[in-house]
Amino acid sequence: MTLTTEERRRQFETEALPHLDAVYRYAQTLTGDPTRAEDLTQETMLKALRAWHQFERGSNARAWLLTILRNTFINEYRRRQHQAETVDLAAIEPYHVFEEVQDVDPEGRFFASIVDDEVLRAIQALPEDFREVVLLSDVEGFPYADIAKMLDLPIGTVKSRLFRARHALQRRLYDYAVEMGYVKRRAS
Amino acid sequence: MSDERHSLDCRQAVEHLYEYLDQEITPEIRHEVERHLRTCGDCLQHFEFERAFLRFLEARARARGASPDVKRRILRELFGTEGA
Repeated sequence: MTLTTEERRRQFETEALPHLDAVYRYAQTLTGDPTRAEDLTQETMLKALRAWHQFERGSNARAWLLTILRNTFINEYRRRQHQAETVDLAAIEPYHVFEEVQDVDPEGRFFASIVDDEVLRAIQALPEDFREVVLLSDVEGFPYADIAKMLDLPIGTVKSRLFRARHALQRRLYDYAVEMGYVKRRAS
Repeated sequence: MSDERHSLDCRQAVEHLYEYLDQEITPEIRHEVERHLRTCGDCLQHFEFERAFLRFLEARARARGASPDVKRRILRELFGTEGA
């Protein structure tokens, strides 16, 4: 059955457009640059609109859009990507910040003092492979299995990247909070 | 203490921490983790701390959507060129 332009537009508006923020967030995560993120978002949405007949109605439109975005990024953007300095995750000790704040702020109230921009900077400082797993899991809420499928990785790899990325983020945000005086570093 | 037969120790419970919070765990292990948490205040506090961290991360990172200007430009590009 062929859709008229009007039907296609209506379906796209109801099923794809509500995910525009998620598409843009993923584009920002991958490119790390607002202008390129906008270009990538636009290109993704255009491709999705043109390929709308291939979308299986009732399946996960957000996952479909993010997969188009990722392929576009890999094929057309990564080559031109200026690789920003990222943290060396191997150098991050896999211990929990909780152990350091247990006596002074066990509920993690200091997190509330951290500004959005610092959180985004911390995410951007992760290596790309880890950044996208955090975004897909912790921001977009996809289950491990969906992420594994979208990134074409074994579930074990998704988990280990996710857990290491969380440790690195937590560590960085904790150090920032200490620096800003939001939480006291435990006397050693 | 007869309930301790197969119960997890703190290290084992924390190994399942993220899978537990992400709800990516089998019912059996979930049960074991919860049994440990009922008897271990330190681990319970640790799990609650991590839960708070993940909620914080989601809320803050989600704040970053496309601005109204960006959305307008994208919509114009999408449908403007289609003559719609």
